[in-house]
Amino acid sequence: MTPDRRLEWDWYPGTIPENVVIDETAYVETTFSFTFFRSQRSAAIRYGRGASTYLGTLFDVGPQGRVTLGQFALVHGARIICDAEVSIGDYALISWNVVLMDTYRVPLDAASRRRELELVPTRVPRLACADVPARPVRLGANVWIGFDACVLPGVTIGEGSIIGARSVVAADVPPFTIVAGNPARVIRELTEEEKNRHAT
Amino acid sequence: MTTTDEKAALAPGRWTHGLPPPNVVLQPGTLLSGDLAFKRFRSKVERALVIGAHCTMDGVHFDLGEQGRVTIGDYCYFTNAVLLCELELLIGNYVLIGWNTTITDTDFHPLAPAERIADAIACSPLGQGRPRPAVVKRPVVIEDNVWIGPNATILKGVHIGAGAFVEPGSMVTRDVPARAHVLGNPAQIIGEVP
Repeated sequence: MTPDRRLEWDWYPGTIPENVVIDETAYVETTFSFTFFRSQRSAAIRYGRGASTYLGTLFDVGPQGRVTLGQFALVHGARIICDAEVSIGDYALISWNVVLMDTYRVPLDAASRRRELELVPTRVPRLACADVPARPVRLGANVWIGFDACVLPGVTIGEGSIIGARSVVAADVPPFTIVAGNPARVIRELTEEEKNRHAT
Repeated sequence: MTTTDEKAALAPGRWTHGLPPPNVVLQPGTLLSGDLAFKRFRSKVERALVIGAHCTMDGVHFDLGEQGRVTIGDYCYFTNAVLLCELELLIGNYVLIGWNTTITDTDFHPLAPAERIADAIACSPLGQGRPRPAVVKRPVVIEDNVWIGPNATILKGVHIGAGAFVEPGSMVTRDVPARAHVLGNPAQIIGEVP
């Protein structure tokens, strides 16, 4: 990062917001990832040691949102919709077109959604941001999420679990479990042998 | 389309489009962005795309075939949706469509293998002018006040009733009743919205 918070290799003419804290060993491919970032919290995004975000990643973070990326977390292309908290654990691997959302940004009832949509054109930039409760999304360490998957508000995924491509995760996932499907269901647990196998 | 003030207020890189095709009608207060919006717009019909007032169409792809016709009501808000239309998409008022959601009114290719071979040849660089076999197309109707989350897919012939709530990632293959709350692949009713 240059002193004026730009990236030498960036194709997009943006800067890294002041309240985004990036470890000196972390990598940000493009500041385009921050075009929907509007959090006012301190350290609203924190990149851990060796963490990285690539091209398709978008931090759609509201004024009170906070996102943390653990050490060596690799986010290839997630759309992170966050009004409260999205935390990504150490060594997590997140594929392209993944949606991690802690809020729906609109109420469930149709009449309130309608009122919200009448307000959108009065805002600059135009955003849907109704005051609906956000429920934190927490991804444990070493979680692996396949492409096009969605993680819905309030979901916690335990350490070491694997989410198959295109899954929609609507409920908590225990540690060391493989889930897949829409809605996601448990395929199996990792075996003791798998859990104890070490990289050579 | 966009007023100078609105353009000035927006971040660079997202609002780089030129003028829309002549058969596109945008009502007042509607903002349309994205330099790829009309990259695959091939419709030849009059009023091929009509978008009502006070809509926000951010990074939407309007991929319309020669006969495609898309009508969108007032106060709709779509982000990066992909609309693939060979026949007709009818979208009501106050419809919200999330990021990377695809809506299509066609199967793209025929079901029968021999017809698909003929289609592959017609679509190939050697198929210049060769007619394509018939493909199943059925209009998609999305009524007022429908919410569709990101990464969802709406297939041909689907009619989504007013006020329905389609969860992110849903694959909608059949009609959704009014005020239904759906999720899954294929999308199933999991409840009703208030």
